[in-house]
Amino acid sequence: MSLMRRLACAALSVCLAAGLATGLTGCGESSDGTVNLTFQIWDVAQRDGMQAMCDAYTAEHPNVKIEVQVTSWNEYWTKLEAAAMSNKMPDIFWMHTNEILKYADNGKLADCSDIVETEHFSDISLANASGSDGKLYGVPKDKDTVGLVYNKEMFDQAGVAYPDETWTWDDLVSASQAIYDATGKYGYMAYGDDQLGYWNFVYQAGGSILTEDNTRANFTDPATQKGMEFYIGLQSHDWCPDQNYFAETAPGAAFFSEKGAMFFEGNWNILTELQNYPDMVGKWDVAVLPACPDPVSGDGRATISNGLSYATGANNKHMDIVKDVLKFFGSEEGQRIQGESGAAIPAYEGLEETWVGVFDEYPIDVQCFIDMFDYSVQSVNNAARPEWKSKVSDTLLKIYSGELDLSTGLQTMQEIVDEASAEYYE
Amino acid sequence: MKKTSKLSRDGAVWGLVMVAPTIIGLLVLNIWPFIETIYMSFSKSKAFGTFEFNGLDNYIEMFQSTEFWKATWNSIYFCILTVPVGVFLALLVAVLLNAKLKGRTAFRAIFFLPMVVAPAAVAMVWKWIFNTEYGIINSILGQNVRWLTNPTIVLVTCAIVAIWSAIGYDAVLLLSGIQNISASLYEAASLDGASKVQQFFHITLPMVSPTLFVVLIMRLMASLKVYDLIYMMVDQANPALTSAQSLMYLFYRESFVAGNKGYASAIVIWTVLLIGIVTLLQFAGQKKWVNYEV
Repeated sequence: MSLMRRLACAALSVCLAAGLATGLTGCGESSDGTVNLTFQIWDVAQRDGMQAMCDAYTAEHPNVKIEVQVTSWNEYWTKLEAAAMSNKMPDIFWMHTNEILKYADNGKLADCSDIVETEHFSDISLANASGSDGKLYGVPKDKDTVGLVYNKEMFDQAGVAYPDETWTWDDLVSASQAIYDATGKYGYMAYGDDQLGYWNFVYQAGGSILTEDNTRANFTDPATQKGMEFYIGLQSHDWCPDQNYFAETAPGAAFFSEKGAMFFEGNWNILTELQNYPDMVGKWDVAVLPACPDPVSGDGRATISNGLSYATGANNKHMDIVKDVLKFFGSEEGQRIQGESGAAIPAYEGLEETWVGVFDEYPIDVQCFIDMFDYSVQSVNNAARPEWKSKVSDTLLKIYSGELDLSTGLQTMQEIVDEASAEYYE
Repeated sequence: MKKTSKLSRDGAVWGLVMVAPTIIGLLVLNIWPFIETIYMSFSKSKAFGTFEFNGLDNYIEMFQSTEFWKATWNSIYFCILTVPVGVFLALLVAVLLNAKLKGRTAFRAIFFLPMVVAPAAVAMVWKWIFNTEYGIINSILGQNVRWLTNPTIVLVTCAIVAIWSAIGYDAVLLLSGIQNISASLYEAASLDGASKVQQFFHITLPMVSPTLFVVLIMRLMASLKVYDLIYMMVDQANPALTSAQSLMYLFYRESFVAGNKGYASAIVIWTVLLIGIVTLLQFAGQKKWVNYEV
């Protein structure tokens, strides 16, 4: 081996070693005993709130520094999955109900049962943070509901009273017609969406998307069919744009450019919308969802309630410290900071008003979002949902476009969900 | 046995060391993933990168799926729509940009600009331009054409945007080919009394044909692999989705939305075969029209 070659080899191995070393020193404990933790989230609007919470923890535990990192929703899951595969998950991260079962059931998340003060969280919040085995794999972070956003000016022009808790589906239809006749604007904008669309109507009618044990679909149930038929049928009215319209114009965009009078919106978007459309502030408000006037069962009231949780990887190196941080995030103090930042409604029961208080400076009454927790329904989920989610929404589009009639379409949805779920529950 | 000199042996070793980064990169980033993809296409994917060999199941499922055949046709149809028109227009633009006109450099930059802009931004703007209710095109036409939601024209709309964004790049390539043509050919032709049109067909076209061939191959590959543009223009709430969904769009939905990576890999392998066949056909056909003589 010539000297040159030996030198080259040495140089290469130094480079490689340096590369490996820098990769490893990314996180963890530094020489002075400070622990640096990473905290991954996807919503940039909540960054300040999350940082405030972390700072509050650091104030009490100066040796723990937490860095909040924001990744966009789409990248978030690609990155987290890759990180889970290589055992390099962030120390703390948000978990969503869409994905929690996949992570929890495959042993990627640490069991958090020992740090959650279950008496302070609703059953829905706890269920949204649980794996299929019923154990808690996250600390409940927030909870949400869906409300009816409406344009006050259009109601005034049409001489229709604003929506309130007495409203039923019939009022929704008649108000939409009256507004369309008087102003030429669209009424209630019903479009192809699950959480902000048909799910709510299905549960109001007394139906459900999945059977009670979440192992099979329930699309062929008469009550479910009733809700689906009513919701999908709304687009046949002149006052509701068809699905082609929504393919190009999001209902929110249509609403805030004053093309339509009503749409369903999740509470998590309200603050951003107030900030993004300053000219519209004062022209709109929110109400509880209208009830089904003649439900097959139940009282006709329902709204979908989802919730995020804070989680950590099953093999975290600083498990004790991370769990202590998570415990703080789930405590009254941590949840209060979150609520007061306007980020989201705290999952911690009794702190809902901290979120409502954020809206004091705006002419809008968001109390209805809190009131609806009394009859809220847990967001639909089972372990196979990633597989059937987009196929069900494709089928819904085919019903909208007339390619499938309603009963064939619902039958197809039933089969899609059952087939995908069978792999997990048999 | 002939003994190689120490110098040339060392030279060979050094040569390998010098190209090692590229070779390693290629092996790690391209070739190995490709082999893995082939393996994955014969497996059922489970969560977090685990696979279970299941033979030809993915392919059987794929060939029985109407959605898959529709996507294959959509990709081919997209090629038919974009490649001939796109390459022809690029050639036209290249010839015009080669002419002596004022502000030629500025024009070249302007035509190249769409290539510099992120495809996502391009699609966003065009989506507004084509909007049925509020788009500028419909308001100029005074019509209510459903550019993006009518199943029969949605791909044509996407093709228009694709052509628009690719013309500049193709034209620059062709322009460089045109500029390599010796001016003496044109001088001789004009002495013989050939018109500009005759010069184009008998000098420019044959002389630029090698570049044209490269452009054609690249454009065909890119069109068969189209994804980002359609993804941005046709969102997943669009009832015309199945009429616009290309193979790569289907791949994206199967692998990243539904988490079905094994089945998605089968789609990729099919696309690779398709592109391979089309490219082979082009190479076979090039003898008929590509001129490599100077």
